[in-house]
Amino acid sequence: MNFQEILEKIKTKHEVLESKEDLGVLNAYIATAKIAAVAAFMKDELKFEQLNFITAVDFPANNAIEVVYHFFSYETADSVVLRIKLDRAKAEVPTISGVFKTADWHEREASEMFGIKFSGHPDLNRLLLPDGIESPLRKDYKNPDMTPLPKA
Amino acid sequence: MGLMNGIDEKLVRKIPGAPVVLASAEWAINAGRSNSIWTLTFGLRCCAMEMMATGAAKYDWARFGFEVPAASPRRADLMIVAGTITTKMAPLVKRLYEQMAEPKYVIAMGACAISGGPFIYDSYSVVRGADKVIPVDIYIPGCPPRPEALLDGMIKLQEKIMKQKLTKAAS
Repeated sequence: MNFQEILEKIKTKHEVLESKEDLGVLNAYIATAKIAAVAAFMKDELKFEQLNFITAVDFPANNAIEVVYHFFSYETADSVVLRIKLDRAKAEVPTISGVFKTADWHEREASEMFGIKFSGHPDLNRLLLPDGIESPLRKDYKNPDMTPLPKA
Repeated sequence: MGLMNGIDEKLVRKIPGAPVVLASAEWAINAGRSNSIWTLTFGLRCCAMEMMATGAAKYDWARFGFEVPAASPRRADLMIVAGTITTKMAPLVKRLYEQMAEPKYVIAMGACAISGGPFIYDSYSVVRGADKVIPVDIYIPGCPPRPEALLDGMIKLQEKIMKQKLTKAAS
């Protein structure tokens, strides 16, 4: 399937706010509240059985954090990326760990790295970071121990 | 063989007709220590690969008196900090060092263990050098240092041990 066909298939059941092609892979923006339903649809009906990873990207200029879900299908060897735009100040998104078990740890990592709250998550503890480091991958993260890179 | 290296000729007198060597107690103790250093089996990151190569057959640090790697800090004399120390790992490195019995020595191997290396700028999670956590005797530059460099550093440590005074506490 090319990205256009996949997009049409998602559109038959769920609303896609915005979409773009990136290196031949469909990037579809979804409404925040719909993510669990769309993930279940991807898994059960479109046969994207694997969730490769969940991460996030910080865009301080747009005051937005995008949560990125990367799906893969073993049947057709296709990839799809679902994206969600969140407000930086109150970044909160429903968990999909009920749909994909692997989302549990991925969401914990995204949570500690970007300060995103995954509501409904069974155990949203820290995964890798030690105590005292809060959302270090946000662009405006400051730490007194950090030496800024000198300008060339 | 290594035992006789660096020996002060004035301290040694061979008695004709008998296989006896006379030397000061200080020299004998230091020579014993420096030629039976057990290394803590402990690698933090990629420098550990070079450390393993140095201990293995091709370079073989046992030739210089480093013998077996100790599997427990209680039996180790030397800790080679081979790699990056992260903020999360730092308390554990310190605990391992404290568990080692005196006299104990530390080699900071590679750029990360000296200063944080490639992570010195804009890193939220890396300790800027092993000497922020534990006292360091020898620094070996490189990213990673070749086994020859590590061997050279270890031989430099032996020379340092040979200069220790009995009247002063070790390290």
